[in-house]
Amino acid sequence: MSCPIGSHEQLELLQAYCAGERNTPDASALEKHLEVCAACRELVASQQAVWSALDEWKAPAASADFDRRLFARIEREVSLWDRLLQPFRPLWVRLAVPLAAAGCVAIMVGIMLDRRSVQPQPVPAELAQPEQIEHALDDMQMLNDFNAATRADRANAKM
Amino acid sequence: MGGLAATLDYDAELMVRVKEGDGASFTVLLEKHRSPVIHFLYRMVQNQAVAEELAQEVFLRVYRSRGTYEPTAKFTTWLFRIATHLALNSLRDGRNERLQERLDADSGESASRQLSDSRPSAEAAMVKEVRMEEIRQAVAGLPEKQRAAVLMHKYQEMEYSQISKILNCSESAVKSLLFRAYETLRARLAHMA
Repeated sequence: MSCPIGSHEQLELLQAYCAGERNTPDASALEKHLEVCAACRELVASQQAVWSALDEWKAPAASADFDRRLFARIEREVSLWDRLLQPFRPLWVRLAVPLAAAGCVAIMVGIMLDRRSVQPQPVPAELAQPEQIEHALDDMQMLNDFNAATRADRANAKM
Repeated sequence: MGGLAATLDYDAELMVRVKEGDGASFTVLLEKHRSPVIHFLYRMVQNQAVAEELAQEVFLRVYRSRGTYEPTAKFTTWLFRIATHLALNSLRDGRNERLQERLDADSGESASRQLSDSRPSAEAAMVKEVRMEEIRQAVAGLPEKQRAAVLMHKYQEMEYSQISKILNCSESAVKSLLFRAYETLRARLAHMA
């Protein structure tokens, strides 16, 4: 194999080797290369030093009352409703999508039926027009009469 | 590996039981994953009090989300995704910095205690503490995502594929994160050989 130093991919292989991945064909080839390459041996040694150093870093154990505090929080923060509904939740989750789909379909059908029933019947134009014009003319006449009467009242009041 | 897969399947099975209302299964999951989660969070935020507070939040969220849990991925992928999310948020909101100051003050106190100790092991203990501090600082100096990737790879022994799912990136991105992180650590810690 070619020297891993200088090749990003090969260096990843070398890191994987240092991390303990040694039962691969690549690892066997690397081991052969290490026998003849001092620079790579040095790199492996320094990388293994990093791993050993990280191994020394122990995290502290959890507090003795960790579980008690957690369960107290669960008791406090998870609502009563949540607990009451919990046994039904799997059923509810399973049924929610089909129920929602069925609801949507029902609403759509309802809207369509409703539109069909309240649609106004078309009125023949030749019958509607003279009647409407007649009503409009009557309304205009009535407004003119009303305005004239109002003007006359105001003039009388000023005098 | 087969044993590991079986264990992970068992975790998911336990979580499904929690979903169905079996509180005892939650206790089993807590017992099994408490330490790995706390240790991961401790190494991420480097403060035990904050790590425990975050771990409580992780398990609380697991319990709260039980109703919508679907065993589509490994349980630990889901668990560490929550843990990583909370740790990164904690680091970003600066809450940890205030506590870090306290931690620094504490380690200063412990160093002075050790200096005044007349026992022969005092010097060795102090050397060890200095060494640990170097390691902690080297890891703390890594960018957040690199740090999370290294901790999951090194201490949780996770595969690239699982880390990629937790960090929501590609496997090649994980390899790149790890490569850069180990290069940085090598530069900072190689003298410890």
